[in-house]
Amino acid sequence: MQKPLLFLIVLFISATAFAQDFSYGEPDVAALDMKKYDKDTAAHAVVLREHGTSRINITNDYHVRLVFEYHSKIKFFDNKEFEREGTFVIPVYNSDGMAYEEVEDVKGVTFYKDENGVIQKAELDPQKIIMEKRDKHYTLVKFTMPALRSGCTIEVSYRFITPYFRTFHPWHFQGYIPKVYSEYEAHIPALWSFNASLRGSLKLTKNTASIESKCFTFGAGSADCSDLVYGMSDIPAFKPEDYMTAEKNYKSAVYFELEEETDLQTGAKTKYAKEWKDIDYDLKTERWFGGQLKRSGLMKDRIAPIIAGKTDQMEKAEIIYNYIRSTIKWNEDEDFGSEDGIRQALVNHTGNAGDINLALVTALNAGGIPTEAVLLSTREHGNINKLYPAIGDFNYVVARATIGDKSYLVDATEPLLPFGMLPMRCLNDQGRVFSLNKPSFWIDLSTNQRENITYALDLTLQDDGKMKGTITRFSIGYSGYLRRKEIKKFNSVNEYVESIAEKLRKTKVVKSDIINIDSLDKPVGETYEVEMNIFDNLKHDHLSFSPFLLNQLTTNPFKLAERDFPVDWGMPSDERYIINVHLPQHYVLENPPQAMAIAMPNKGGNFFTAFDGDSQNFSFSYDTRFNKSVYSPEEYPYLKELYNKIILAQKNEFVFKKK
Amino acid sequence: MMRRIVLALSLLFFCGAVKGQNNYAASQIPKDLLPYASAIVRNDERTIEIKDLDNVTCHVKKAVTVLNKNGDDIAHMAIFYNKSISVKYIKGVAYDEFGKMIAKFGERDFSDEATGDRGTLFQDYRVKHYIPSITQYPYTIEYEYELKHKQTLDIEDWEPLNESNMAVEKSSYKLTCKPDFNIRYKEVNISQKAEISSTKDGLKTYSWQIKDIKALKNEPFSPNWRTYLTRVIVAPEKFSYYGIQGSYTNWEQLGKWQYDKLLANRQSVPEETAAYIKEITSNLNDPKLKARKVYEYMQHKTHYVSIQIGIGGYQPFSASEVDKDGYGDCKALCNYTKALLQVAGIESYYCIVYGNHREKIGMMPDFASMQGNHVILCLPFKNDTTWLECTSQQIPFGFLSDFTDDRLVLACTPEGGKLMHTPKYSSEENLEKRNADFALNEEGELTGRMHTIFKGTDYNDREDIIDDALTEQIKRIKKCYPINNMEIKKLEYKQDKSINPSTSENIELSAKEYAALNNGKIYFSLNSVNRAQPLRQLVTRINPVCINRGFTEVDDITYTLPKGYHLESEPLKKHIDKPYGSFIMTMSMDGDKLIYHRTFQLRDGNYSKDIYPDMVDFFQSVVDTDEYNVVLSKQ
Repeated sequence: MQKPLLFLIVLFISATAFAQDFSYGEPDVAALDMKKYDKDTAAHAVVLREHGTSRINITNDYHVRLVFEYHSKIKFFDNKEFEREGTFVIPVYNSDGMAYEEVEDVKGVTFYKDENGVIQKAELDPQKIIMEKRDKHYTLVKFTMPALRSGCTIEVSYRFITPYFRTFHPWHFQGYIPKVYSEYEAHIPALWSFNASLRGSLKLTKNTASIESKCFTFGAGSADCSDLVYGMSDIPAFKPEDYMTAEKNYKSAVYFELEEETDLQTGAKTKYAKEWKDIDYDLKTERWFGGQLKRSGLMKDRIAPIIAGKTDQMEKAEIIYNYIRSTIKWNEDEDFGSEDGIRQALVNHTGNAGDINLALVTALNAGGIPTEAVLLSTREHGNINKLYPAIGDFNYVVARATIGDKSYLVDATEPLLPFGMLPMRCLNDQGRVFSLNKPSFWIDLSTNQRENITYALDLTLQDDGKMKGTITRFSIGYSGYLRRKEIKKFNSVNEYVESIAEKLRKTKVVKSDIINIDSLDKPVGETYEVEMNIFDNLKHDHLSFSPFLLNQLTTNPFKLAERDFPVDWGMPSDERYIINVHLPQHYVLENPPQAMAIAMPNKGGNFFTAFDGDSQNFSFSYDTRFNKSVYSPEEYPYLKELYNKIILAQKNEFVFKKK
Repeated sequence: MMRRIVLALSLLFFCGAVKGQNNYAASQIPKDLLPYASAIVRNDERTIEIKDLDNVTCHVKKAVTVLNKNGDDIAHMAIFYNKSISVKYIKGVAYDEFGKMIAKFGERDFSDEATGDRGTLFQDYRVKHYIPSITQYPYTIEYEYELKHKQTLDIEDWEPLNESNMAVEKSSYKLTCKPDFNIRYKEVNISQKAEISSTKDGLKTYSWQIKDIKALKNEPFSPNWRTYLTRVIVAPEKFSYYGIQGSYTNWEQLGKWQYDKLLANRQSVPEETAAYIKEITSNLNDPKLKARKVYEYMQHKTHYVSIQIGIGGYQPFSASEVDKDGYGDCKALCNYTKALLQVAGIESYYCIVYGNHREKIGMMPDFASMQGNHVILCLPFKNDTTWLECTSQQIPFGFLSDFTDDRLVLACTPEGGKLMHTPKYSSEENLEKRNADFALNEEGELTGRMHTIFKGTDYNDREDIIDDALTEQIKRIKKCYPINNMEIKKLEYKQDKSINPSTSENIELSAKEYAALNNGKIYFSLNSVNRAQPLRQLVTRINPVCINRGFTEVDDITYTLPKGYHLESEPLKKHIDKPYGSFIMTMSMDGDKLIYHRTFQLRDGNYSKDIYPDMVDFFQSVVDTDEYNVVLSKQ
């Protein structure tokens, strides 16, 4: 298991927390003269200082607002980061023309040395700030800084006001360029309490709390505030690695989750998320979640006719599963709640993951199959924190059906996925099982699914130098799903076969047969009868032949000497390859290979080859297995080395010698 | 006999009864349109009515049958509009496989969004779009919309088929205007010429139609679709554009209008900047050196930002604005550079070009209209015409990359527009030349150094890597070379930014277990630095072969072999010469050194489709030779 990179922040309460924004708009001669950043000499730009403040305020007409103030100062050593760091885009939510969120007081200034070495200043022209109405929900406030040139510094500040104060503004310490110092101040009135958590492996260099008295007044009442300050110095740039999950899991940032709220008028306390039983209760009563799970009446009418007369639970479950996925098309939105109710989704034939899978849970229950909803966070969305219960971490839901003594995880968003298999996006750590009548609990999302491919080749060398025979590929488990998706990219099986034939080198496909394309529970079997033009003729005394005709690896997919983040493939995988070769009378195999076997520690994976037969009719096989879904940075060198050995093994060729 | 007539009559009658009601049953699609198509355009009727210079109605009625999930994108309706285009109405109907209506939709179902990605600072266009969600295939979407355009400079072309994965059963285009309103048009690859007639109201109409166009099949080395597919381009003689009127019938007039109305008087720069430009150029006599100085100043001071405002996206920001802000799009940056050059007393032309990295698409010499998407600058030095790309801070002075090379562009000058041809980089000039000196030891480890030089349009091959920090450069260069276990000891880039620029790459490397050891023999790949990819074989080839850009690769590698080892078989030699390319590979021994040479050239040009199978074999021979494994054994 990977190291948890998430810590609850322990506060050090002190009498005074000293934090303050730095002054704006002063030319900084030292920064302008800076030639490179000592701690990362290759950096194209560095954030010299960054400061943020979030405050919960109240307006005169008693509307609570979160006010976030941002200020940063960046040094550009050359022009390479102008596009990413010199242009700002702030998304503002305002649904259907009603302004809900606002950005104000946008200020920007660039300092640079002109051709004569004189410091010049260029202010951001408010007229050049573009408000782009992106769609009906969002407006983007966009601007690019003026007069950017190598060596310049910029300063930007703005204020962002939102009514969504319960989603307290997080703070991202780490970005794609290094930062000298980044600091965040959170002023939270005692009416609210939040859990704060730090993600990533970097340590806070400042972490203080103090009390600010009567900072929040409403009518005659008032509350004290906690003034929390988080600071981090010398933050390196974030460098993503291949085969890692969401960047968010590893980037240093502080997040907040609302714990408790006290009502302004009545003083009544509302717990937001202290314990799972609170969340369970909320979900159960929410119209968009529990409300949908209770609509078994709606489902019974639709389900009853299609399962009439069926007694086998598995058969019923699959019929219902097929019904849901052929009735509601996924609109690619990931959510764990229903958008407009499952009835609407059934009528419109479209819905998000919540609509589809809550409909599935309800339908399965209506059909007499005990089923629960499983909330999860997709790979892109990031890991779930296990420190405290937080509903905001989830973004997806699937179904968990119990048939006999087995339970199956099911997702009806993908039409080609068999019952009991999850798409890659869902294979992320753990999910939380919810039902209307039991407390929720965690389960592992690693189902038994694997990627599994078997190749079988049977080739006979002809007198004219051609090799004739068959190539067969079985795509099993998740590989079967991927293969079906690939086949369905074509308009017909013929067009798919044509594309395969076009890619096989020096090979003519004489005949083909593909089975089980639509039997989702079975492996997809492809058989190609081929003629391979491997040798020009048989006049040579020695012929060399590589048995690794398909999927030969030439370079290691892992290039780094070491990794910071785990390799996460989502599921284990197997690849098996068997080739049978038949030689004509006047040829023999000169160098039958030695069998070899290499394994990673702790059964993490292995590669082995085997040889069988005589010098004229023989079979050679290899088998590659990766038994884990996730490999830690400590296991990484073994993974890399296993690939190395596979590549070396594949360099060996067979030599056919004339008798 | 009698029966047959009755049947015929009743058929007629039956047909009469359903007339006016479209039959979109999927079974009615001609069978020969099905291959390689995920969707079929059943009917596409476009009617353009030019009512006045600032009033054009465009009416579209289109029906698409989607055969499978891959065709959903083709049924995804997207209607673009901006300040000069208003959407009058949109409505539509969905039908099932049998042509039975299943749903209706209207404008309220469409979502309205800004176009351009988040990086684009501003884009004038917005889009209204809608994806019908129908789970049963096949289905048909029929929709109808009307747009009102307030300009007549840019009239929509007719391109009945311009994307892959779909076929067209029927498509038509009709343009209506007053009898005295002159239009010019250009028919490309058309079988049926325009039908010109008059309506009963005395309006003039031009119409075109086409039936049964098969879906395109994706074939390597295909020419641009513009060269073989049907299209019609229309340009009115008189036009109005954002309140500016004009007229043209040729490139000269169109260029003149753009110069006078969109460019003139937008080149004034602040005095301090002008003084500085004069100061840095006054001591130089050679105008080309002056121009270089000005260009480098511009590159240092500005950066490219995608921002499309101005008059409908055709007019650049003024030079003084760019001077102040330090950014702009291609038009703004070209205009600014032009303004600075003017201060230095150097003439330059603002040139409209169709920029495309993969294909060279030039202005049509015999038909003037708005055909560009990018702007570059031309310096008409005597016998030494020089071209400038103004949107990059890195690109060398006078170098056009593969984005704008070798094509016709429109130069907008005060005297009028003229077509000019940008320079071509030949197959010999696009050079990747590599020298490597490697040593192999008895454990199979490879060590050594490798020097590569990139010229012509290959100059840009490492541009992305050069921008990165060294640790990232190393990560990325490992993906460029298929040398397993490659560790980089040194990596260095140098760029010669002259008019014929070059990029040089210097690598010191080592690779453990590069060679495999087995039974006292050593096996290793002769070429792990530059391997050709096989060319896909095709069952049938439809398009002619077009090699858009030629290149030459020269690799010379010396391997010092471990002591006491020798080649097990005779050194390989290969020499293939074809009209479209050539390949030479030689191997020889010199003491303990194995010397390997490889030259691979592809020559640009248009070739018959019949050579394609031969090309596949040619590539395969190159690939086989590139994959050659050396076997060493001990004496």
